Amino acid sequence: MTKIIVPIGPQHPLLKEPVSFQLTVEGEHVTESAMRLGYVHRGIERLCQERTYVQNIHLLERICGICSHVHTTTFCQGVEALLGVKLPSRALYLRALLCELERIHSHLLWLGVLALNIGFDTIFMYAWHDREVVLDIMEDLSGGRVSHAVNIVGGVRFDLTDDRRVTLLRQLNGLEEQVRILLGVVEHEQTLQARTRNVGRLSLEQIRRYCVVGPVARASGLDVDLRRDMPRPPYDGLTFQVPVRQEGDVWARTLVRMLETVESVHLCRQMLDLLPPGPVSTRVSRRVPAGEVVSRTEAPRGEVVYYIRSDGSDKPARVKVRTPTLTNLITLPSQLENVNMADVSVVLSGVDLCIACADR
Amino acid sequence: MNRLLRQLHLFEEIFSAFQAAFPDDPLTVQAMPIDETFVTLAPEHIHEACEILVERFDFYHLSTITGLDTGAAVELFYHFWNAYGITLRTALPYTALRIATLTDFIPGAAFYERELYTMLGVVFEGHVNLQPLLQPDDWDGSHPLRKT
Amino acid sequence: MLFKLLIFPGFLFLLLCAFVFDWVDRRMLARFQGRVGPPWYQPVADFIKLPTKEDTLPQGVNATVAAALPMLALAAVLTASVYVPVAGVVSASFEGDLIVVLFLLSLPALTYFLAGWISVGVYSILGGHRSLLQYFSYEVPFLMAVAGPAVLSGSWSIASIVAYQAQTTWGAVMQPLGFVLAVVGLIGKLKRDPLDIPKAKSEVVSGSLTEFSGRKLALWRLSMNMQTVVGIFLLVNLFFGESRFFDVLPAFPVFGLKALSILLLLATASAIYARLRIDQLADLGWRILAPLALLQILANVGIGG
Repeated sequence: MTKIIVPIGPQHPLLKEPVSFQLTVEGEHVTESAMRLGYVHRGIERLCQERTYVQNIHLLERICGICSHVHTTTFCQGVEALLGVKLPSRALYLRALLCELERIHSHLLWLGVLALNIGFDTIFMYAWHDREVVLDIMEDLSGGRVSHAVNIVGGVRFDLTDDRRVTLLRQLNGLEEQVRILLGVVEHEQTLQARTRNVGRLSLEQIRRYCVVGPVARASGLDVDLRRDMPRPPYDGLTFQVPVRQEGDVWARTLVRMLETVESVHLCRQMLDLLPPGPVSTRVSRRVPAGEVVSRTEAPRGEVVYYIRSDGSDKPARVKVRTPTLTNLITLPSQLENVNMADVSVVLSGVDLCIACADR
Repeated sequence: MNRLLRQLHLFEEIFSAFQAAFPDDPLTVQAMPIDETFVTLAPEHIHEACEILVERFDFYHLSTITGLDTGAAVELFYHFWNAYGITLRTALPYTALRIATLTDFIPGAAFYERELYTMLGVVFEGHVNLQPLLQPDDWDGSHPLRKT
Repeated sequence: MLFKLLIFPGFLFLLLCAFVFDWVDRRMLARFQGRVGPPWYQPVADFIKLPTKEDTLPQGVNATVAAALPMLALAAVLTASVYVPVAGVVSASFEGDLIVVLFLLSLPALTYFLAGWISVGVYSILGGHRSLLQYFSYEVPFLMAVAGPAVLSGSWSIASIVAYQAQTTWGAVMQPLGFVLAVVGLIGKLKRDPLDIPKAKSEVVSGSLTEFSGRKLALWRLSMNMQTVVGIFLLVNLFFGESRFFDVLPAFPVFGLKALSILLLLATASAIYARLRIDQLADLGWRILAPLALLQILANVGIGG
């Protein structure tokens, strides 16, 4: 059979961001794949060295258009550790609340993209409709739907009144109902399962050797979640499950993400119930004492790692950002081996590509 | 508290394993904030030390490799994680920017090493595909994160 | 005769139906998905807008063939419509017109494949190949399901099949399995969700039609929409022909209602299923649909004989 090269990207309806795959296709069978990154490389790590810590928060928020808050949270957490300040616990709760809302937002968005890619437009519309609720909540809280700009070194810049807390709880109840409907669809719908089961399978051994993180790892049976495994306030005082599946295919990833969404709604509710009174920020110095720190948090897509080195001035000497997508991308060649051409879209959706994150 | 004790115990074992493996290396150990420990090693010991961490102590997860130009040397940080973070650090002089690859037993290190190769010009010996990762096709071969 | 060919139930009426059905379809799908949907003039606006766009073709494509293919598809559909009665009114009819209609309705699939074949783009070629594979999967069960009413009534003329149902009852009641299979076959024929495999956006961009634009694309879309209308009208005639119960009501609105009900079925199928993979469709077609269609035909022979 003749081989043809099918380019997926840098511009293709399947992709929401520029990345390029060259697939060698025999009939409908993909035999080889090559990936090209770097279309949205902005040199953020280098830019960070030339800006102050305050400016960097706003720069780092722009690494990702979906999980912007978790990047600033990781950065601030690192800088606060260098400064040795202890945050008021209300600030930590509000920060984590926004992190969880962002997780719900990210997972619903992802479900919509997967549904769109397998031609299930109805679920796409429903998932994005429900995501709108989360965006509205986030806009109410921070003033921004995607970029929130609420984190500062030493706390957060927004507070929650008691009335707002009550309405938020009500909105969350409605959201949970909607998410459970979507969860039911993922669990029971036949055509969705026909498209996602046994596709893009990764074994636990592969997951460990490729250092895969987040829902992709948990769908292959790796029981890891930094919120639970490196407990820091407020997560050490909250109860939540970490959903893990053994199948390792795209369907398991879908299920894990939807179960996580439900858990995140629970977490939001717990945090609203337990929200301690007090100030939301504390004053810190603009100069950060010399030192190094490695800061890790669990983003919607998995572990985010920041390495920050300070030389005692108001600008960091080095900020290294490792986003979860970059590690998960590395599994794509093995997932794309010997798949049907139609499964490429499912495999690519399965890892939850965020190319802007990976390229920085 | 229990967690802290476990961590101390585990790390003592790791250091004694390192000391036994590299008797002539002046190991330095630093406790860092947020559950992190830094261990400084000579560049030629990095590969074996990583192997010890992964195989014997099950630090299977290589979070990333950070590269950093201090102006005097290029420092590399290998961030491992399994419930606790441990970072192996080493410094390469400008005259010998070469180090053994980890991809032979951690295939997940491939992208990190490719990125460092272009950003700082560190050559990872044994890497099967040491190509630019983020640079455009007409990349001129300069290293954006180098100070000199 | 000329009135019948050009105005009702011929070209003009079909054009109107194509726009109306397109709008109703999009509107229903939108309601299923919790959206509002487009206003009534949207299909007309789309049709007017497309020809004003630049008409480009990639280098190395035979321009004459590229221009001829959408016209051929449209011509086949229009010719088929001549033999399909609308509320009992038909332009032409003879014993065996069902076979001609079925043949003419499978021509657009061929032109669609050729459109992919002559294009130089990889997505078009993939889409063309897929359309042919899909054709082999749905066409056999579809033909058998549509042959069912003919076997039952003992005639290959659509008018006789309609008349036969007036004496007994609706074809869909007598052979529900055949009706379901015919609807599935029609979805495959029209390349609608969930069987829009040859033009799956996330896989082959737009399939065979990726490289088409402007007037040619407008013609393609019109022929697709008209094919929907003719296909639905055919099913209405074969499975919801005249019946004693509805004879008291005026024929035309009843016919329209029946047609829209089938459109509702198609829209529902679009809304509640994910797209199948091509190998899954081939499995479905040959392992499930074809044997079931055979079963229905055998049953019809039993009843009819």
